[in-house]
Amino acid sequence: MQVIDRYAYANAIRQVDPAQKGGLALVALLLCLLLDHPLVSGLSIGWMLGLAVGWARLPGRVVVQALVAQALFLLASTLSVALSLSWGGVAPRGWAVQIGSLWLSSSPAALQHALVLVARALGSAAALNFLILTTPLVDLIDLLRRLRTPEVLIDLMTLTYRAIFVLLESLERMRVAQEARLGYCNPHRAMQSSALLISQLFIESYRRSQRLQESLESRGFQGTLRVLPNTYRHDVWAWRLGAVMVASLVLARLTR
Amino acid sequence: MTILVEWEDLVYHYPGGVVALDGASLQLAAGQRMVLLGRNGSGKSTLLRHANGLLRPQRGRVRVAGQPLDYARAGLNVVRRQVGLVFQNPDDQLFSASVAQDISFGPMNLGLDLDEVRARVAEAAQMCDVGDLLERPTHALSMGQKARVALAGVLAMRPLALLADEVLAGLDPWAYEQVVAIFDRLVAQGGAVLLATHDLRLAERWADVVAVMEQGRVRV
Repeated sequence: MQVIDRYAYANAIRQVDPAQKGGLALVALLLCLLLDHPLVSGLSIGWMLGLAVGWARLPGRVVVQALVAQALFLLASTLSVALSLSWGGVAPRGWAVQIGSLWLSSSPAALQHALVLVARALGSAAALNFLILTTPLVDLIDLLRRLRTPEVLIDLMTLTYRAIFVLLESLERMRVAQEARLGYCNPHRAMQSSALLISQLFIESYRRSQRLQESLESRGFQGTLRVLPNTYRHDVWAWRLGAVMVASLVLARLTR
Repeated sequence: MTILVEWEDLVYHYPGGVVALDGASLQLAAGQRMVLLGRNGSGKSTLLRHANGLLRPQRGRVRVAGQPLDYARAGLNVVRRQVGLVFQNPDDQLFSASVAQDISFGPMNLGLDLDEVRARVAEAAQMCDVGDLLERPTHALSMGQKARVALAGVLAMRPLALLADEVLAGLDPWAYEQVVAIFDRLVAQGGAVLLATHDLRLAERWADVVAVMEQGRVRV
């Protein structure tokens, strides 16, 4: 997560309006889902990688690694679609291997089905990767505010995101303090220490929320966390590029 | 000399019976550098929390700029603009992952227009020397930087008096000097600073007035 955060803050299009980056990613995502064809998804992955590297100047290695990691997860979970298990005397259609009375089988149709699933999911993942690697969460929250998302949700997102980092720090401090007193010397102690850690973290979060409330009150809290909206720049040619992307994806679908 | 904040014979017992204030009185005047010493649990934080209406005394009275504190919402809004309160752990104050947005929170609550808020943020950032951190995420800052951002968030409301609870604890000497310099700038502009601390050296070389709290009372 901290790697994502680092790139989100340090890329060439950090100052570009999140509406523009979000718009491009969302269009690619929707087209992947609506047109639903491996060619479209593949092309969309290409577009998103291209934009991430060419426009946002992210290192290609990082973008590809993120996608490969997701691909491995997807492959593992679509294995059950590509392969099927059955038992009985008759060999199933397609390719089959017999293990005792079990048949492990697959067929071109099943493989095709799995491929479509993987492509669709991976295309969507690439689009979201592009967005989160180029846009810090504060900008996304800012965008949601402009889209008139209810204030309560915005405030919750703001506080949750900040609390993740604060609580991670407390967690690490407490864990080191336990470790220093041999809290993890054997599996049994490790279990007990973890349990203590979790309950302490709850108490810590509660106390922290009280202190936060006090400091917000001190700064004239009026019930919602009102802050200054960010200012962004617009890349005109990115819209044009987006239009070309949409056209290419639709064309790819039409030719199949 | 104008008295900015006046605590008059305050009594406050926490639920559960702990006596935090037991007839505490103190006056903070414009242009004053005051250090409030006292052992842990002597009531320093409780006294500070009374100054902007976070706590309401069970006996006695708080006056800010001569006016008795009005505990209705509108009254509290006025007092919290006049009296800025900074707490020990900046992580308790910084709620936003964006430094600029966090500093803008106070001025936004004052209902100022966006240009004025931007000007206030820039001014407070300059005063606290965090201008180059505005675009950084809060969680990527060092402790000293967080302390200065937290101060900027309060100073952006342009308080008459700044009350700080142990804000120097845990800072390295360099960060420490930077924060003290911010206090000096505020005093030079006619504000008042009250610093609750355990730092005797600061009481000796920096303060105009040293007050000591003991068992819920103040001696000056």
